[in-house]
Amino acid sequence: MNLRNYNIYFHTHTISGIIITAVLYVIFFAGSFSFFKQEISNWQKDTPGAVNGNLNYDQIIDSVGRKYNLYGREVSLYSQPHSAKVNVYVSDSKDTVNNKDAGSFFYLNPQTFTMQDYQTSYDLGEFLYRLHFLAQIKYPVGYYLAGGVAFIFLFALLTGLLVHWQKIVSNFYIFRPWEKLKTVWTDLHTALGVISFPYMFVFAVTGAYFLISYPLFTKPVTATHFNGSQDSLYAALGYGGHDFELENKRVGKTIHVNDFVKQAKEKWGSGVSINHVEVINYGDQSMQVHIAGLADMKKKFTSSGELVFDAEGNILKHTDPSASSSYTDVVQNLIYTLHFGSYGGYATKILYFLLGISGCVVIISGVLIWLVARDKKNIPEKKRKFNFWLANIYLGICLSMFPVTAAAFIAVKLNPEGGMSYIYKFYFLTWLVMSILLVARRDLYKTNRDCMLAGSLIGICVPVVNGMMTGNWIWNSYKNGYHDILLIDMFWIMVSVGAFICWRLIVKKHEKNAALTPATAPATNVAASL
Amino acid sequence: MPANKKYLSSPGQKVLKVSAALLGGYMVTSALHLFLLLFLDKKTVLVTMFFSTYILWAVLMIFAFLAKSGWKIWGWYLLISLIFFSPFLYRMLFR
Repeated sequence: MNLRNYNIYFHTHTISGIIITAVLYVIFFAGSFSFFKQEISNWQKDTPGAVNGNLNYDQIIDSVGRKYNLYGREVSLYSQPHSAKVNVYVSDSKDTVNNKDAGSFFYLNPQTFTMQDYQTSYDLGEFLYRLHFLAQIKYPVGYYLAGGVAFIFLFALLTGLLVHWQKIVSNFYIFRPWEKLKTVWTDLHTALGVISFPYMFVFAVTGAYFLISYPLFTKPVTATHFNGSQDSLYAALGYGGHDFELENKRVGKTIHVNDFVKQAKEKWGSGVSINHVEVINYGDQSMQVHIAGLADMKKKFTSSGELVFDAEGNILKHTDPSASSSYTDVVQNLIYTLHFGSYGGYATKILYFLLGISGCVVIISGVLIWLVARDKKNIPEKKRKFNFWLANIYLGICLSMFPVTAAAFIAVKLNPEGGMSYIYKFYFLTWLVMSILLVARRDLYKTNRDCMLAGSLIGICVPVVNGMMTGNWIWNSYKNGYHDILLIDMFWIMVSVGAFICWRLIVKKHEKNAALTPATAPATNVAASL
Repeated sequence: MPANKKYLSSPGQKVLKVSAALLGGYMVTSALHLFLLLFLDKKTVLVTMFFSTYILWAVLMIFAFLAKSGWKIWGWYLLISLIFFSPFLYRMLFR
């Protein structure tokens, strides 16, 4: 290989990687948990069982209508897969004279018809999901930061692949866990990096698309091709069709949304699940009912069906979810399906989680390789100090996420209705305190060792606390078929056992190393402190 | 071990190459896609942009770092984006 190119790939890979480390780790760690967002919500609130599209829409709209005068509003009812609640959005009314109350977004329990606003129903699933694109930082700073990191990550992935290109096959089979630590990290970094490359590539591209497309590409396209009108851009993409005038004439009869849904079900067959029902200009003669459905994943990988009725029940538009899709339909759906891992059930999600965590391992091993490679006598003391502190801070912030997240699961179980402010306070405070303590100790080995042990010990308590608080011990959840609650409990048992084994291996390895190399250590002798 | 220093750029060149990679790469990417939107099916291009923009931009970043001279790669990127952007420039100036 061209030696110049090789060194350039190497250097740009190192620098781009080291810059984004901490943020990327947070994204990967929180993102891996986000695959189970709904399950975490159901676990926290002890609401087993998903809605899965069998809703009584009339009754839901009835109870929403008791809170709002629905006339002239858009009413959107959306249920996420595996969710036990319905996301309800009620817009402002287009009748601005007689119906002035502002609309809002809230959740509705389809069994009890109770409503809860976003802040109070905020749960750990939502928190971790939002943390993975840094939404807690003021909008749009967090979004753009996370999106920028996703893009730089794409660059680091490509340059990383180029660095390893020539040895990609031979190195793939090399794993030397009994060698010195630098070798272990290098092998980990390359082997896991190569295995998870396609997965990480997908996440880098789709992640960047979700977060930074709007300022970078949507805006210039709108300005140059759509006369600055975003609505016409969305119409060209097939998203629009929701904005039309109110006629200001009421529909004479009562509206039965269930009838529309029933028609859609008859048209599409039983394999299709209805996930979104919208009524626009409610109660007006210009009213439209939009019903969206998804085909069974086993039959069709991506699908989006839509059925639009007018106030009289005539069909205005029909897209069959089971019909063959065009290129654009596939891409528009695929970008979400691939990122959310919403195909293939729990098997995919668990695999995605493991790949996500291996992403975390790749990131941390990358930092450690970077550090050890620069811990040489010929490198000035000042630089070595800086390098050590950077790695020390990165590791403190990143690795403490594991025990903090485990503790957060317990915290929300003790106080499931604490809402947004409780989760924010608990998570960010414990994270801050723990990071500071670990960084102040200036010992990478101990940071790693103690985070593993703490995470494992706290994690094993998660199913115990759940059992004590709700009576849903794992055997009860299993017996009653509470799959989502069982999943989270089992998940923490597995993770804790895994982390405990890691902890044992880390300690053993360190003791063996310490026995081999007697401590000649100056303060910055990194290799000894690891 | 860290990359061999003798293959890496001087500080001035570094600034040029990093800016060419990020800014120049972005300019070429967006200009090319805006240009394609002029005569290809709009929806197809728009949807393809979901992923093609980021991949192309990242590849252009790599080329910027591989370049011998930061000035030259900036020159190329400016020229290419100018060519692709010229229909819009024309419209902005003369209409």
